[in-house]
Amino acid sequence: MKRLKLLPALALIAGLAVSIGTTSAYAQTTLRVFSGGANQRPDLMRKLFDQYQAANPGVKIEIETGGATSELQRQYLSTVLNAKDSAIDIYMIDIVNPAQYFGAGWLEPLNAYVGSPADAMKPYLPVYLQSNVVDGKVAAMPGFADAMFMYYRKDLLEKYKIAEPKTWDELAAASKKIQAGEGNPNLQGLSIQGAPIEGAVCTFLLPYWSQGKEFNDASGKLTLDKAAAVKGLNQWLSMVDAGVIKRNVAEVKTPDTVNEFKAGQVIFAINWGFAWDRFRMDKDSTVQGKVGVMPLPAMAGGKSATCVGGWQWAVSAFSKNKAEAAKLVKFMATPATSKFLAVEGSLLPTIQSVYVDADVVKSVPRFKDAANVVIAGRAARCPGLRAGQRRGPDDDERRARAHQEARRGRG
Amino acid sequence: MAGRTMIERLRDPSEKSLGVLLLAPAFLLLLLIVVYPIATLIFNSFFDMRLSGGSGGFKFVGVENYLLVLKDPDFWNATGNTVLITLVTVPGALVVGLGLALLANLPFKRQWPVRLALLLPWALPLAFAGLIFAWFFHTEYGVVNDVVRRVWPGSEPTMWLLRPNWAFAAICLTIVWKTSSFMALILLAGLQMIPKSLYEAAEVDGASRWQQFWQITIPMLMPSIIVALIFRTITALQTFDIPYTMTKGGPGNATETLAMLIHKTTIDYLDVGYGSTLAVFMFLLSLVVTGVYLKRIGRNA
Repeated sequence: MKRLKLLPALALIAGLAVSIGTTSAYAQTTLRVFSGGANQRPDLMRKLFDQYQAANPGVKIEIETGGATSELQRQYLSTVLNAKDSAIDIYMIDIVNPAQYFGAGWLEPLNAYVGSPADAMKPYLPVYLQSNVVDGKVAAMPGFADAMFMYYRKDLLEKYKIAEPKTWDELAAASKKIQAGEGNPNLQGLSIQGAPIEGAVCTFLLPYWSQGKEFNDASGKLTLDKAAAVKGLNQWLSMVDAGVIKRNVAEVKTPDTVNEFKAGQVIFAINWGFAWDRFRMDKDSTVQGKVGVMPLPAMAGGKSATCVGGWQWAVSAFSKNKAEAAKLVKFMATPATSKFLAVEGSLLPTIQSVYVDADVVKSVPRFKDAANVVIAGRAARCPGLRAGQRRGPDDDERRARAHQEARRGRG
Repeated sequence: MAGRTMIERLRDPSEKSLGVLLLAPAFLLLLLIVVYPIATLIFNSFFDMRLSGGSGGFKFVGVENYLLVLKDPDFWNATGNTVLITLVTVPGALVVGLGLALLANLPFKRQWPVRLALLLPWALPLAFAGLIFAWFFHTEYGVVNDVVRRVWPGSEPTMWLLRPNWAFAAICLTIVWKTSSFMALILLAGLQMIPKSLYEAAEVDGASRWQQFWQITIPMLMPSIIVALIFRTITALQTFDIPYTMTKGGPGNATETLAMLIHKTTIDYLDVGYGSTLAVFMFLLSLVVTGVYLKRIGRNA
């Protein structure tokens, strides 16, 4: 506990020292931005900040980076924001966090700067109205998107003359046929992430959503249909029992799926957008030129749905430069920025029109098809606790836990 | 005397005020880093401080949090796990540590390789130890299952960290490995303080090595053993890093400790009031255990 209490104090002192030092020396606005971890491409963000600085000579932007995963970043941000630290003006946060942080009073409502929620979110994919607007307030603006895709081995499906499966049962049958035909005991039918990480929330929600069920309503309230959730989990478990998904799936993290698919040990793999380049371009990938992407299968009678992730820009409620910070956030959410990130870093756009932009299509042709996947996508969000409720069963950690518990003693 | 100015009094303080002056910095420091956080913790535990949503984040609720804790199955599960980890790993580390200390106390020609081997696990950060052992026990890539496969070819690999009992055992093993070197260091210091003459006298009287161990080594080592046990027990009650890095408390919450539950409630759920109440319970648990030890020492002395 002592360590936890000291950290924010230290961060505060360091932050104060920085802000005093810079404001007196330059007499201009200095914005400090928390820009995620290495996967969120702080190098590209720096380039954008440099562009902004050039156009706005009175503003200087400092960048701060954090942990490699969403969980690590959240631990740091929860500590800093809980201490009401004013050193950081802008935060890049995971799509699950705006509601929780806004509920805690840590984020500045942006309505005064970007207009009403409906107007502000109009240019963006529909998922953002759901994830970034809390209680009628704009809590954050979209930075770039990410989504779960279904990657598959084109060559194997062609070899066995199997069409892209439309339902999970078809996928299981296709996997079994190929596994039997190849006779390789290490060949997995489907690789999903079951370890207790942020991404496992999506693993849990995919078969749930693909029954046409919703997890949150428009106001962010939990609308979990228990029967459907159990049915969804049982879909995964039956595939574990059938040998389509490997037994120790509760140990599988995002990079495990990527590495095993690259090694040719996986027929179907669910993973985030970045995996595409890893499969196609990494030197140690044995599946170059053999990879396809298709819409995620659905439960029989349901419809395909994917999990949208990605990163948002939010202004700290404790910032001393809120107006300037909001301006920068607006800039980071423009179509031009989205296009820059798509072309330079293959980061998924947040705006539908950018997906079909000529330059974007030229440098990342797959985005044309990806648009449909992302538009149909949903986002999980931590709705924050409602009045009268002690602890949230809707917290994603609990979801991950329910997920694991279902697996306990099985397989 | 009454006419002395403030400065004169400061320049030539009496015995009593000198004592106060010299102790003041340490006292203030303790006040700042021990008393203040604990007081804040206890204060917060009487409030509804759910930062995200609903109540607005700050409402006095009296002992409601305390009543909720007592009814919370997660609390009892975590407390049970914490106590069990303590009961298994403290004696475990004592036995292994004593063995290591006796080994290191043998008259080797070169002392430093043995001492270094003793120091290394102690110097390793807890989280590293957890991550390393998590790899050892990984179902597919772990060295444990690799050995099992070589000894019994064709056997189904055990998913060590995905089975509640095996995961618990793996965590206890890791903690014993990590903490027994600390035990050994304290016990080694104690061993070296036992006069050689005692063993020589015992030899002359015809006592066997076994008798020497029980009649001389153990009684003479008792003060060191008690000190080591107190330190180890208190850190065992606060176990966090190793289960957090190995299993994150899983599968389910089979290996979740009290410290992990507090962390989760406060950092992930942002429920500061309830988290503080849980921490007060952990504080009380540590207090009771330390009190029992101190009482025993008093009786022994």
